[in-house]
Amino acid sequence: MHDHDHHHDHDHDGHHHNPRPASPEELRAQALEALLIEKGIVTSDAIDAVIDRYVNDVGPQNGARVVARAWSDPAYRERLLRDGTAAIGELGYAGDEGDTMIVVENTPTVHNVIVCTLCSCYPWPVLGLPPTWYKSAPYRARVVAEPRAVLSEFGVELPADVEVRVWDSTAEVRYLVLPMRPADTDGLSEEELATLVTRDSMIGTGLPLAPAAA
Amino acid sequence: MTDDAFLRALDLPRTNGELVFEEPWQARALGMGVVALAELDVGAVEWRDALAEAIERHGHDPDEDPARAYYAAWVDALERVVASRA
Repeated sequence: MHDHDHHHDHDHDGHHHNPRPASPEELRAQALEALLIEKGIVTSDAIDAVIDRYVNDVGPQNGARVVARAWSDPAYRERLLRDGTAAIGELGYAGDEGDTMIVVENTPTVHNVIVCTLCSCYPWPVLGLPPTWYKSAPYRARVVAEPRAVLSEFGVELPADVEVRVWDSTAEVRYLVLPMRPADTDGLSEEELATLVTRDSMIGTGLPLAPAAA
Repeated sequence: MTDDAFLRALDLPRTNGELVFEEPWQARALGMGVVALAELDVGAVEWRDALAEAIERHGHDPDEDPARAYYAAWVDALERVVASRA
């Protein structure tokens, strides 16, 4: 989160010291926080813990680490494709939404895309909360009926001979796309590789970044 | 995690899967809500309804930043839920 550092510009008695004048919305939020602290309903530390968890811990960066490991370690990649749940669990990511994880690999001839045609099932432990469009009726219907048109709208143009496979998630089975490792990344560390992995590349509606663009 | 299920049910402003805050108070408002609603035992459905009503009351201004509008409504809804439990 680019503005993460700013989250710590408060002290712990409920007063904020920002260089600019606070907006009415901000003042109202501060007043409510002060009230909730006074009533013993919240503490500043508990709020900080939630912010750290949701802003920094859960999100597509978990999936990006999984992908970067698979790109760097052929044995891990093999385990990941064989048993996604266990291999993702090796990195410490698991949860009620990720009970059975199946990882589908993009190759020069196959491009995978995930969807939940019924609702919004999503590999939450590795990708965080789903984007709004993932839950939208048009995406859910169209990615099945005309995947190439949808991919094109996302800026993904695939050669005609690439087969597009669409995977329909359910409450029991969640999919994660393992994108192809970008060219010219031979010397990169796992950590550097992870920065190239976008959320959309793990849904299949995008491609990883090129090293220069990261 | 109850928190996970709770937040998953909401449509928080995001970009590339990451939460979007226009200003730090908005992240704080989110954290404050998660803690307070758990402490007050407010369920996901009740909260979603309260939030939907607050968003409706707030109205839609195309010039307003979406994260600001969302978290202004969030604070409004939280005030009302807290008041209803007092």
